[in-house]
Amino acid sequence: MTDPSDIAVEVADLSKNYGPVQALKSVSFSIESGRYYALLGPSGGGKTTLLRLIGGFLRPSAGRVYLHGQDVSHLPPDRRPTSMVFQNYALFPHMNVERNVSYGLKLLKAPAGEIRDKVERMLAMVGLEGYNRRMPHELSGGQQQRVQLARSLVLERDVLLLDEPLASLDAKLRKDMCLELKRIQEKVGITFIHVTHNQEEALTVADRIAIIADGELVEEGSARDIYETPEKRFTAEFIGDNNVLPGVVANLSDGRVTVDLGFASVDVASHGVAAATGDDVAVSVRSELLRIVDGEPDAAWQIMPATYVEAIYLGLTVSHLVRLPDGTEIVARVISGEANDGAFEAGKEIAVGWPGDRARLHVA
Amino acid sequence: MYDDFANPWNIRLKWVYLLGVVFALLMPVFYTIYISFNQHGFGARIYEFTFDWYRVVLGDTLLVVSLKWTLYLALAAIVATIPMALLSAKFYKRTRRKVAFVALMLSPLFVPADIMGSSLLVFFKNLANGFVWLDEVLGVYWFDGWFDLGFLTALIGQVIYVHPYAFIVILITMSRYRVQQTEAARACGATAWQAFWQVEFPQIRVGVFSSCAFVTILSFNEAVRTALLKGGFDTFSNMLVAQMLNIGMSGESYAMAGIMSIVSMLVIGSVIVFTLLRAERLERRARAMAQPLMAS
Repeated sequence: MTDPSDIAVEVADLSKNYGPVQALKSVSFSIESGRYYALLGPSGGGKTTLLRLIGGFLRPSAGRVYLHGQDVSHLPPDRRPTSMVFQNYALFPHMNVERNVSYGLKLLKAPAGEIRDKVERMLAMVGLEGYNRRMPHELSGGQQQRVQLARSLVLERDVLLLDEPLASLDAKLRKDMCLELKRIQEKVGITFIHVTHNQEEALTVADRIAIIADGELVEEGSARDIYETPEKRFTAEFIGDNNVLPGVVANLSDGRVTVDLGFASVDVASHGVAAATGDDVAVSVRSELLRIVDGEPDAAWQIMPATYVEAIYLGLTVSHLVRLPDGTEIVARVISGEANDGAFEAGKEIAVGWPGDRARLHVA
Repeated sequence: MYDDFANPWNIRLKWVYLLGVVFALLMPVFYTIYISFNQHGFGARIYEFTFDWYRVVLGDTLLVVSLKWTLYLALAAIVATIPMALLSAKFYKRTRRKVAFVALMLSPLFVPADIMGSSLLVFFKNLANGFVWLDEVLGVYWFDGWFDLGFLTALIGQVIYVHPYAFIVILITMSRYRVQQTEAARACGATAWQAFWQVEFPQIRVGVFSSCAFVTILSFNEAVRTALLKGGFDTFSNMLVAQMLNIGMSGESYAMAGIMSIVSMLVIGSVIVFTLLRAERLERRARAMAQPLMAS
C-alpha cells in the first residue's frame, strides 16, 4: 500500500459543471510523488478541465483537490504548489527568454544572483544555452515549449501540469520532445501530469495513465497494463489498434468464458471480470496479436472464419483487412518483411485467430 | 486575399474613388484652416497670411478659460472612462453573450446627442430635486446641490458619449491578446493584478493610449450634451457654437475652428501612424514565427 505522505496529488469526487453541461463527473484518483502521469482521452472528454481544476484555474462544482495532503480546492493558481506548461501562445511576447524564465523568481523577490544562476541552469537543462536575449517570436515552436518548461521548472514546484504541450509541434519534433520531457522529469524528480489525446505520446512519457472520456475516469493503470490488458471496452477501443467483437456469454467454467460471437465461439480467460450466462460482452484482441491462419491451426488457438479484403502497407507494418461472416471488418497487423506479411487474393476464404489467452473480456 | 487575376485598373479606380471621398470630406476643414490664416478673413479678395486671429483667440481670457475647462473635462473623462472601458473589454472577452454585450455597450451611440443631452438634463434635475426633498425629510443639508448642473453632470454626459469609442478601441487591441498568458503568469505566482499589469497591460498599452487620445478629441468636439449639462461654465466648443449663432463666423471663429481641427488631426494622425507602424512590426513578427530561425 502506498504511504499517504507519498501522494502528491489527490482528487476526490471532483466535478465541474458548465451550466447544464457536466464536464467532469465525480472523478477520484491519486498520484504518487515523482510519477509521470498522463491524462489520456478523446478531445472534449474532460481531461483539460481536470488539469485546470488541479492547477486552480477552475473552481470545482463539487469535490476536493489535495496537494501533498493539503486541501487546495479554494486556492487560486498563484497560491498552489503547481506550475503549468500550456499548449501554445503562453510565452510573454514582450519579454525575452531570460525575462520569461525569471518571471516567477522575480515575483518571489529572489536575489538577482540566484535568479541569474537558476535561469542559466534551467536553460542549459532544456538545451537553450545562449538563447537568453532571443524574443519569443525568434524561436521555433519546439524552442518556445522548452522555454515554457524552463519557466515552470525554475520555480521548483512539486507538481508540473502540462496541457497538451506537444500538440502544436510536428510529428518528428513531438517524438523528440517526448523523450526530452521524460529525461527532464527523471532528472528533476517532481510529479508531472501530462494531458494529451495522443496515445503514443502518453505511452512514451508516462509511468501511469488515466483514461478520461465523457467526463469520467474510465480506467487507470501503468502504461503497459493499459495497453496490454485493458479492463474496459472503451480503453480497448481507444488504446492501440484493437479489434473489438461483441458477443453473448454462452458458458462459464473455471475462470474461463465461452463467448458466442454469432458466427463462431471463442474461449477467453475472465481475468476476474464478473459475467453471467446470457450477458452481452465484448472480446478485444490487439491487431498485432491477430494472425491469418495459413494451414492447420494449433489446438490452443481461437479461430474464426473470415474473408480476405486487402493489405495496407504502412512502412514498418502491413495491415491485413479481413471481413468476418457478420460483416465486421477487423485488422491483423504484421511487421513488414515477416514470413506472413504477403497479401492474399481479395475474396479468399481464410481463417483468423490468436494464440492462447491473448484476448480480453469486457462487460462495459 | 490577393487576386492575381484582378484588373489593375479596378484597383487604381478604387483608390481614386477612396481619395476623392476623403478629399471631399476634408476639403471644408482645410478651407476653414486656410481662411483662419487670412488677415482679411472669409470672402476677402486679398489673401495675406497671418497668425493674428490665433493671437486674438489665445489673448481672449474667456476663450482661454473655456479652453481650460475643456481640457479639465477631457482629463476627467479620461480618468473616468478608460478604466471603465478596460473593464468592459475584459468582461467582453469572458462573456459568452458577446453580441448582446456589444449592443449594450454601443447603445449610447444610437441615441441622438440632443435627445441624450435633454434626457440627462431632465434626469439630473429630478435627481437634484429628489436630494433636496431628502434633505427636507431628514432636516439636514447634506445633499444640497447634489446633481445640480455643473462639471459633474457635464462629465457624466461626456463619459456616456465617449465610453463606446474607448471600449471599441481597447477591444481591438485586446483581441490580439491571448488569455493563456495571464494564466501562465498566474501559474508563475502572479496575482490577478500583477498578471494584468506586468503581462497584459504592456501588450494592450497602445489601445489604452489611443483611447485616451480619442477621448480627448471627442471632448473637444462635443457641444450639444455639454451645452445642456454644463451649468455655469463654457467649453471651447460651446463658445465657438455660441459665437457662430450670435455673431456669425468671424476671423476669430475660423481660428478657433482651426485650433480644434489641427489638434484633432495631429492627435488622430499620430495614433494612425503609430498604429500602422505597430501593425507592420507585429506582421513582421508573425512572419518570423511562421519561418522560425532554428529547426528545433
